[in-house]
Amino acid sequence: MVEYDQRRSRESFSGLAERFAEPDTVGYMTGEHPALALRGLAKSFDGKIAVAGVDLDVPAGSFYGLLGPNGAGKTTTLSMAVGLLRPDAGGAWVLGRDVWADPVAAKQLLGVMPDGVRLFDRLSGGELLAYHGLLRGMDPAVVDKRAAELLDVLALADAGRTLVVDYSAGMKKKIGLACALLHGPRLLVLDEPFEAVDPVSAALIRDILQRYVAGGGTVVFSSHVMEVVQRLCTHVAILAEGTIKRVGTLEQVRGDRSLEEVFVEVVGGRTATGEELAWLSQ
Amino acid sequence: MAVPVGTPADAPVGAPMGAPAGAPGSAPMSAPAQPVRRVSAWHFVRLKLRVMGNNFRGQGWRVALFVLGSFFGLWFAVSAFFGLAAPGLAGNDRYALLVAAFAGGLTVLGWLLLPLVFFGVDETLDPARFALLPLPRRTLVTGLFAAALVSVPTIAVLVALSGLVVTAGVFGGWSAAAVAAVGVVCGVLLCVAAARAVTSAFATMLRSRRVRDLAAVLLAVVAALLGPLQIAGLAAIQDVDWNRLTGVATVIGWTPLGAPWTAGIDVAQGRVWAAPLKLLITVATIAALLVWWSRSLESAMVGAASSGPAQAKPSVTGGVVAQFFPRAAGWLRRDRFGALVAREARYWWRDARRRANLITIAVVGLFVPVMVNLGGQGFTLDSEEGFSLAGETSPALVSLSMLFVGLLAAVTLANQFGFDGSAYAANVVAGVPGRLELRARMAAFSLYVLPMLAVVAVAIALVLGEPAWIGFMAGTLVATYGAGLAVNSFVSVLGAYSLPETSNPFAMNSGAGLIKSLLTFVAMIATAALAVPMVIAAALLGDAWLWLGLPLGLAYGVGAALLGGYLAGDVLDRRQPELLAAVTPRR
Repeated sequence: MVEYDQRRSRESFSGLAERFAEPDTVGYMTGEHPALALRGLAKSFDGKIAVAGVDLDVPAGSFYGLLGPNGAGKTTTLSMAVGLLRPDAGGAWVLGRDVWADPVAAKQLLGVMPDGVRLFDRLSGGELLAYHGLLRGMDPAVVDKRAAELLDVLALADAGRTLVVDYSAGMKKKIGLACALLHGPRLLVLDEPFEAVDPVSAALIRDILQRYVAGGGTVVFSSHVMEVVQRLCTHVAILAEGTIKRVGTLEQVRGDRSLEEVFVEVVGGRTATGEELAWLSQ
Repeated sequence: MAVPVGTPADAPVGAPMGAPAGAPGSAPMSAPAQPVRRVSAWHFVRLKLRVMGNNFRGQGWRVALFVLGSFFGLWFAVSAFFGLAAPGLAGNDRYALLVAAFAGGLTVLGWLLLPLVFFGVDETLDPARFALLPLPRRTLVTGLFAAALVSVPTIAVLVALSGLVVTAGVFGGWSAAAVAAVGVVCGVLLCVAAARAVTSAFATMLRSRRVRDLAAVLLAVVAALLGPLQIAGLAAIQDVDWNRLTGVATVIGWTPLGAPWTAGIDVAQGRVWAAPLKLLITVATIAALLVWWSRSLESAMVGAASSGPAQAKPSVTGGVVAQFFPRAAGWLRRDRFGALVAREARYWWRDARRRANLITIAVVGLFVPVMVNLGGQGFTLDSEEGFSLAGETSPALVSLSMLFVGLLAAVTLANQFGFDGSAYAANVVAGVPGRLELRARMAAFSLYVLPMLAVVAVAIALVLGEPAWIGFMAGTLVATYGAGLAVNSFVSVLGAYSLPETSNPFAMNSGAGLIKSLLTFVAMIATAALAVPMVIAAALLGDAWLWLGLPLGLAYGVGAALLGGYLAGDVLDRRQPELLAAVTPRR
């Protein structure tokens, strides 16, 4: 059953990703600007610094992984980058358009899947896609067509009219991704797209994202799963304590070591416990 | 606000989980056979104080609102105290029983019904959070009950009803005062237990989609109980037949509504044998309510953990867009505005919290005008909105009751973004213009409310036997509703707050409870001020108003709503991210 779904999705998929990756704004040259540029982004909550000045250039066409331990400021950074959270200082540009000065233009080019944010989950999957599509000003006929394809590819069509609130965690991630992809954004910003997703769905999401990038789109995603990042990304930035610690292409950051080694070294975590938890071994 | 400052041993509910950490090298992977420390109600009280304190941390305005709310609460309480002590202070024995029975009974009824209709119940300690802890149900219920007692309204009611102790003391000396004091404390316990049990039971029922219609009927029945009691009370007052009224008070005194409050008076008036019986009635009622609460609490805890398996319903033919638009909104264009309206319209029905509000509007919208106009006077929902015009019903009085219904309907939107919670992020990411957003929300809500208002106008006009009044009644309703939409657009953009993400439609955070009542109050006053010209016109214009009322009211309401959406939309555009942060529950 699963294999069959996989195969079918790959087949029906060929045209899909490329079509979504086509620029919706005609004549917009992707080469001129980085897909996403962050300058001096900073945010503190109640006097506690969450992000302390992040500069980042995400080249167009790259598959960019934002790595960091829990609480490093990944979600805060991405939220400020896409216009969900107003920064204390600094700015963000999507393909040269200022997210905070010209939000309408910037948001048209963006597809976002936030983490820890509810969807409008009292709608069914199809209804949610229709809502997102129309909200983006798309033609209803196009919405119908793309939504049907997406539901099919993501194996969500069987859920029918089940409300998203009754979906499993993995299904919620998938419908969130579908909502972000629907309007064919130039830049996809995903917060923890692989969290709480089973291996089959994860493979499917990976496949979709790779095709999207191959078709000229740009993906930025946050994660703390080294293995996924190492397999997918062309570029990597390591974020810890609100600042960028390492940045560059995967090879530059990794050198000849494994990404995990570099990550643990940069973050400065503790890798072994001492005597403290002796009572754990009976 | 004194909050116990943290010590490591302060994690109250986790206490039984904590193995004896102080003993190094001991072997304790085995679970302790017996909890190391028993969890008492005191832990819950401390936890609640701690949560409240943490909510205030770094939020100066919340502290200010809390202080303001407490001040008003105590101010009302103190004035009520002197009202209830009045028979004693004036030395008038005759009214003592009357005041105790009626004031006490109305207090209990208020605690029973107001959380359902208006203010919700403080769920600072959400029962679902305790689902995984090894707590016996008895401990949980007594703990949550104790925590529920720690609130400003409880203290206010305690202060207010203590007036009865003064009255009892004046007539019966220390012994009567002591019995009255015990009675008042028991009475307050009864109030809180009743509020908890009823809201918990209703929440469980409304959560299940299948019994929502049953719940609506039950709510209507509960609200309907207000009517007969009110009429009986008013008739009794109008007759000024004190003996008969005293008879009614005596009967009420033997029901749980009046028993705790009248025990002290009985001692003072020489019926000493009655006091223990009445206290027994009270205690038994409290116990029964707590048992009822613990039953529904269990299902609330389980229900929160899982809302049941997802049943795949057969998928429909036709595109997702056609499926998305509800039939009632099928005429909308398939564009941004249409999508926003369709989504809101679906949410008003599918979200239990919103649906509870719609039911409230329907029930109160029909009952208040009937009470005001047939009862002739004094439907005192609260002291500010009390209609104390005496005698026959008149166009002005009817307009006033219509004004109340209209503003009650509109004030539902005072925290319209709070209903969405963090899901509002989708609209922020899509960059929905503020004006479009607000207009669409008004339109979707009106899909439900305007038909209801039409029914109210027609039904009340027929009940009153004045069909010619339908026009200006509908006009006043629409005018007030439109003005209310305008006012609440601003309130919802500027004063939004997060609602907890539980499926209990009555739940809210404790800090938010006060904020909500204050904001609701401000919004209602502002709406009433904007709509008062309609009442004045009804009073002054006479017969001409029968014809002018509808067109003028419609124009005024629609104009006000559009203008409000236009101006508030501009504000919304500038503070979308801040609004999102305000409605996102803090975790």
